[in-house]
Amino acid sequence: MAERPEDAAVERFERYLDALLGGGRPSPEDVADANEAEMARTAAELSGAVGAPDPDPAFVEQLRLRMRQADQGIASVQVPPPTRPRLVESDTSSSRVRLTRRQLLQTGLVGAAGLAAGVVGASVLGTGRALPGDLIWDDGSGLIAGQGFWSPVAMVADVAPGAAVRFSTAAFDGYVVNDGGEIRALSSVCTHMGCTLHFRSDWQDLRCPCHGASFDLKGELANGRDRWRQTGGYRGDAKAYPVALPPLVRPKVKVEDGQVFVWTAQV
Amino acid sequence: MANSVDRPHNATAPRGRFEEIYDAQVVPIYRFIYARVGNRPDAEDLTAQVFMRAVEQLDTSREEGQIASWLYRVAQNAIADYWRAFYRLPLVGTEQVAVGWEPMAPSASGESAPTQSEADADRSHARVQHLLHRLPEHYARVLELRFLQRLSVAETAERMGITRGNAKVLQYRALRKAALLGETDG
Repeated sequence: MAERPEDAAVERFERYLDALLGGGRPSPEDVADANEAEMARTAAELSGAVGAPDPDPAFVEQLRLRMRQADQGIASVQVPPPTRPRLVESDTSSSRVRLTRRQLLQTGLVGAAGLAAGVVGASVLGTGRALPGDLIWDDGSGLIAGQGFWSPVAMVADVAPGAAVRFSTAAFDGYVVNDGGEIRALSSVCTHMGCTLHFRSDWQDLRCPCHGASFDLKGELANGRDRWRQTGGYRGDAKAYPVALPPLVRPKVKVEDGQVFVWTAQV
Repeated sequence: MANSVDRPHNATAPRGRFEEIYDAQVVPIYRFIYARVGNRPDAEDLTAQVFMRAVEQLDTSREEGQIASWLYRVAQNAIADYWRAFYRLPLVGTEQVAVGWEPMAPSASGESAPTQSEADADRSHARVQHLLHRLPEHYARVLELRFLQRLSVAETAERMGITRGNAKVLQYRALRKAALLGETDG
């Protein structure tokens, strides 16, 4: 077919249609102007007119849980008893936990994988000194204001480097992650619209199923425009996530007796 | 999240009522939205927005019809916001609807959600048929194959005895024409 000025527009708009009809999420980026926006809307209505399906039961249940959780948060009804609310002074200003070699050995983590152990060792040794005992700490995430308690959420042994474990407390849901030997807790609520993030081990990120935001294991947006510019892209994503998002909430964590605890606000 | 005591809520509303409302409304609201965005991920996303907003703001002591109306208005606004992202311009045609209890339709209490939803499905089906009938035949055909029968571009091209490139162009023009007809329909 001869090249026409229209061809480029047709090809671009086809991407919108492909996503729409292929069960994916169509992107406004493939829609150039108000005329095409009307076309997109017409296409969406044509697509939606063919017997709107019932929602996926898994989606319905997941949303029910989210609502229940939010509802309970608002009602302030769940107040589990504090577990050993022992606060430890510390001079570190991040919410990560540095595992000592002793702790790692105790939990068998070092032996978990040769490569991983190397990474853990480097990280621990890199701090220059062992931090005291089973301490933890801290951050400024606001979750620690007022009363709270430590909630056990995972076994350290289950969180090998590069792994993540989901947890759920009365106040919030999240993941315990092991970022090259550093244990961290991250909220699994996307800071865009509150969708539930899922962990992708291949990518070492928390991904939002709603609009495709990815957060790294420090809780920072990983595929936003700024980062994209610095790094030249994000694995597997065709384009940068268009909105600058605040980092994920990072509750305090501590490790004690081979268990990971997060500091949960008394709601 | 955690410290949400200062969020607006109705402390006296019976708990558990939400789940009743949710069970009754999630399917019709989802379908209402799906009919307007045409794809599952966005329909799920907007449905979640509607109900998460309901958790914060819905007065569950209202009667069923009023609650349904409220949910549909919130859904309509969410859909308008959604399309606004595609226009990147102030949206003409899809008005924001005030979400409050005041501008309640007088008949609202008599309308149950499924009735609204079914009527809505019939309406959008009828609109599509009406639209296709008013298009030139080959335009209607390409849209029928691609959207109603859900064929790929390649399959559509084969059925119509044209190249894939031509099928894409035809589809593009058909949508442009259909969009214009849709606008004049009001």
